[in-house]
Amino acid sequence: MADKTFNCNVLTPERSVLKTEATFAAIPASDGEIGVMHDRAPLLCRLGVGILRLETPEGPKRIYVDAGFAEVNDNQLTVLTEQAAFAKDVDVEAERAAEAEARQRHAANADEQEARQRAIKRAAMKQKLAGRS
Amino acid sequence: MANRRQLVKRRASVRNIRKITRTMQLIATARFQKSLSRATATKPYANKLADMVAAASRKTGESKQPLLEEGDAKRSALIVLTSNRGLCGGFNGNVLRTAMAALKERRAASDEALDLHVYGKKGINYFRFLGEEMAVSFAGIADQPTFEQVAAVADKLMDAFKKGELRTVDVCYMQFVSTGVQRPAITRLLPLAKVEPAASGDDAASARDVAYDYVPSAEDLLKELLPATVRMRLFQCFNDSAVSEQVARMVAMKAATDAAGDMIRLLTQQYNRARQTAITMELLDIIGGVAAIS
Repeated sequence: MADKTFNCNVLTPERSVLKTEATFAAIPASDGEIGVMHDRAPLLCRLGVGILRLETPEGPKRIYVDAGFAEVNDNQLTVLTEQAAFAKDVDVEAERAAEAEARQRHAANADEQEARQRAIKRAAMKQKLAGRS
Repeated sequence: MANRRQLVKRRASVRNIRKITRTMQLIATARFQKSLSRATATKPYANKLADMVAAASRKTGESKQPLLEEGDAKRSALIVLTSNRGLCGGFNGNVLRTAMAALKERRAASDEALDLHVYGKKGINYFRFLGEEMAVSFAGIADQPTFEQVAAVADKLMDAFKKGELRTVDVCYMQFVSTGVQRPAITRLLPLAKVEPAASGDDAASARDVAYDYVPSAEDLLKELLPATVRMRLFQCFNDSAVSEQVARMVAMKAATDAAGDMIRLLTQQYNRARQTAITMELLDIIGGVAAIS
């Protein structure tokens, strides 16, 4: 069972980030993680800010994704996101500073509040990604 | 004598110019390949996005989405994409001429206000010279536009559109059809035209009737998918414009290099002729002198 794989494709508007086989994927959907394995039923979901985890024959892979969409169809997982990063691309210091700045920021209305929360989450997620791998 | 020296000098300067234009042609070629590969890299994302939108809108059927409906504001926006740098042949001229024609036509047709959003130094200078007022003028997007920059522009436009400040948004840019063909085009960005799925033979056909699990509902998904589509479309416009600019520069510099070569040939011919004339004159002088003595 574990050796059954599906195709996985991570795309951003600017380039294709990753193309690989995977045995398992955990997608950071907007309301919690969704696990995907071989022969999953077709799925179209919205992503939140989070970490996409993949189990591939070459070992586990972790990618930060900043919202977007994911589609599973016919053993093909496609992740569309406007920003993606591997742990090695994350500048921890910069993210820490960004998080601190966001926490300091004054949010007057609901929109600003939301933008602030998003900024904090982004920075925190990137740090988490960089910290653990 | 003076004439000959002048010819030599001119030929030398034309040679120098040819060296410069040839270098610029090579640089443009390299840049073009880079921009083209960047533009091509956006295709998979765009196609997939279009597929998703198609799937979600089939599921929801005819639903009301703010980005699909034309507003009733008395104001529209025209975005004009030009280059920051010159020496690219008719690139900017063609875009600006098309923009101007559209501007005049729209103004004549209705009394609606038309905002000009101009990107690129060349366009900004042009409209400033004409005394046209620009709502937005920005020269900071270089010839390799990043998605982040363009997304910010698109978000601002969508905000204004959703608030009902803008009725329509059009983009005037140089469409990249192929390396041989680029044409100035005006396309509608908002309200979003019907999204066609990227038809790629069997794939598209099989994808048509997939019963997806939608998380959250298809309608909520569509609310996010459509803005993403708008951002992507604008990004592609910027990319097209960047690629076309490099092609135009490549072609212009090739023509300049060729023309310089022709000119050098002509100048060489003139120089040789002048030299021969001078020699003949000297000979005649000597022969005349000898004849006078004997």
